[in-house]
Amino acid sequence: MARFVDLAISAMLLAGLYATMAYGLGLIYGVLRVVNLAHGGVIMAGAYLGWVLHGWLGLDPYLSIPIVVGATFVLGVLMYRLLVRHLQRGAAGGPASLLLLFGVWLVLRNAAYLLFTGNDQTIRTAYSTRALPLFGSFVSVNRLAVLGIAVVTPVLLHLLLRRTYLGRAIRAVAQNADSCTLVGIDVERIYTITFGIGTALAGLAGLLSATIFSFNPGFGSGELLKSFVVVVLGGLGSVFGTGLAALILAVVEVFAILVLPSYLTAAVGFVMLVLVLVLRPGGLFGQRVLG
Amino acid sequence: MTFRWPPIVPRSAALAFVVCVAALAVAPVALGFSIYTKNLVTLAFLMISGALAWNWMGGFVGQVSFGHAALFGVGGFVAARLMLMEPPAPAPLAWLAGGLAAGVFSLGAHPMLRLRGPYFSIATIGVGEASRLIFTYWEDFTGGSSGLSLPIDADMKDRLYWWGLGLAALVVAASYLIRRSTLGLQLLAIKADVDAAADVGVNATFYQDLVFALSATVVGVTGGLYAAYFSFIEPGDMFGFDRSIGFVLMSVIGGVGTVLGPVLGAIVFVLLRQFLLASYPQLYLGLYGVLLIFIILFEPLGLTGLALRLTRFVRRRRRGEPRESLA
Repeated sequence: MARFVDLAISAMLLAGLYATMAYGLGLIYGVLRVVNLAHGGVIMAGAYLGWVLHGWLGLDPYLSIPIVVGATFVLGVLMYRLLVRHLQRGAAGGPASLLLLFGVWLVLRNAAYLLFTGNDQTIRTAYSTRALPLFGSFVSVNRLAVLGIAVVTPVLLHLLLRRTYLGRAIRAVAQNADSCTLVGIDVERIYTITFGIGTALAGLAGLLSATIFSFNPGFGSGELLKSFVVVVLGGLGSVFGTGLAALILAVVEVFAILVLPSYLTAAVGFVMLVLVLVLRPGGLFGQRVLG
Repeated sequence: MTFRWPPIVPRSAALAFVVCVAALAVAPVALGFSIYTKNLVTLAFLMISGALAWNWMGGFVGQVSFGHAALFGVGGFVAARLMLMEPPAPAPLAWLAGGLAAGVFSLGAHPMLRLRGPYFSIATIGVGEASRLIFTYWEDFTGGSSGLSLPIDADMKDRLYWWGLGLAALVVAASYLIRRSTLGLQLLAIKADVDAAADVGVNATFYQDLVFALSATVVGVTGGLYAAYFSFIEPGDMFGFDRSIGFVLMSVIGGVGTVLGPVLGAIVFVLLRQFLLASYPQLYLGLYGVLLIFIILFEPLGLTGLALRLTRFVRRRRRGEPRESLA
């Protein structure tokens, strides 16, 4: 029973991280209809940026959140303005955008490899090993903080999309970009900002995972796949759906430890991805991601 | 009954093809290839076959796969296991069996084929990575991370040049015939719009399964020859993500959806790897990335597109038409 509680708690904590990763991918897909294959690369970049700020300037990873979010926002804006903007939109641009962003991912990976070598890195802080007693088991303070941020982020995102002029414009562009030009919304600007917000969320997720897991330049490919599972399962445009989908993925992954040999647990996410795409491509909550 | 020349193959193209294959068949003897050159060309033949087979899926049907390494690995390991049997299976049979195994393995992807565009691509990343993990831990079959060593057979390696040439020639001819036949048109219809293709009576599910199985079989055979070529294979390399990227890149460099494009792309890929990347191993991923970005942004048809532009430009100049920039 104690083991069950342990696993349930770690699934909860993991779900927060997965949800944060997935919002970025889902937002970009929902508005631009582009799957950001460089998502994993940006997650990795966020992790390394946090590591550099912590290791070289001694900045606490939680204090470096604004810097990392800002930097990855700029990275996303550049990616959009310099590259993605020049692609054909719609179905014809599909394979092209995939290959292009895949190229960006390879470049990011290689850059990290050149700068930081291929060694595994971690961000270790004074509170990394501290734990609090909770429901008869111990929970890492750090993971609780990550969960806290993962709960606050979607609320802020929700407020941004629902309550601000910018958010209304983003939602309008997602619905019909052509009509937006008629009412005076600068569609290109909205696309740029959306892409930036999407990558900023990926950067934030990367920074948060760096406080928990070790990472290297190849970090992020599993995260991309997991984000995709969550987006497809949870549907677009629903913060609640994304959160629940992230929880489902985390629970399946964590409880797989009970029934599967340990080396196969890494494959659970991949298998789930295929199952979800094949069995429930419309997501659990009806808001279809597949067009 | 007199022989009727199939109308979809122009005589000039058939003649050029036969001359090329014949020239390559006698080249090692006639030009006195060193072992090094011969091996390099053999590798190019294998990569040409793999790239063209990928292109049947990625170019003709428009389903970009990031997981072809799984098929390559299955073919390679099945062939290697058969060649390691006591007594060893004849190599060509082992390769064929490897190809068939990969073909059967690919049928498992049937439910995935109703996914289109990015969904299919991302699902293939998942399948590819899952296969890599599973086969790495399946030590009884693949030898785990230490891999499998085949007995080194210098005679075999010598003959592999012609086996490779034969395979590549077969795949080039098959690609051409697919492109020019009704099947090619049906694939083009599926690529353009699945629903519209179904409306005019194209059985998209069947043709995608068929082409995927064919593509898998060829890639599996290639994996088998590759195992014989290197005499040592390990799952991390055979099933690796880099290998899947390789198949994508060769086609993209040469020209996705064309017949000669992947051939050119594979040659460039092998040469790049051999000469440039041997000196800068730490840069090769990034170089591939930059290549991908530039090709997609400036010349989506790769080298083929470049060649088309060049011929148009030259023709115009010859006709004395007003000068126009290359762009």
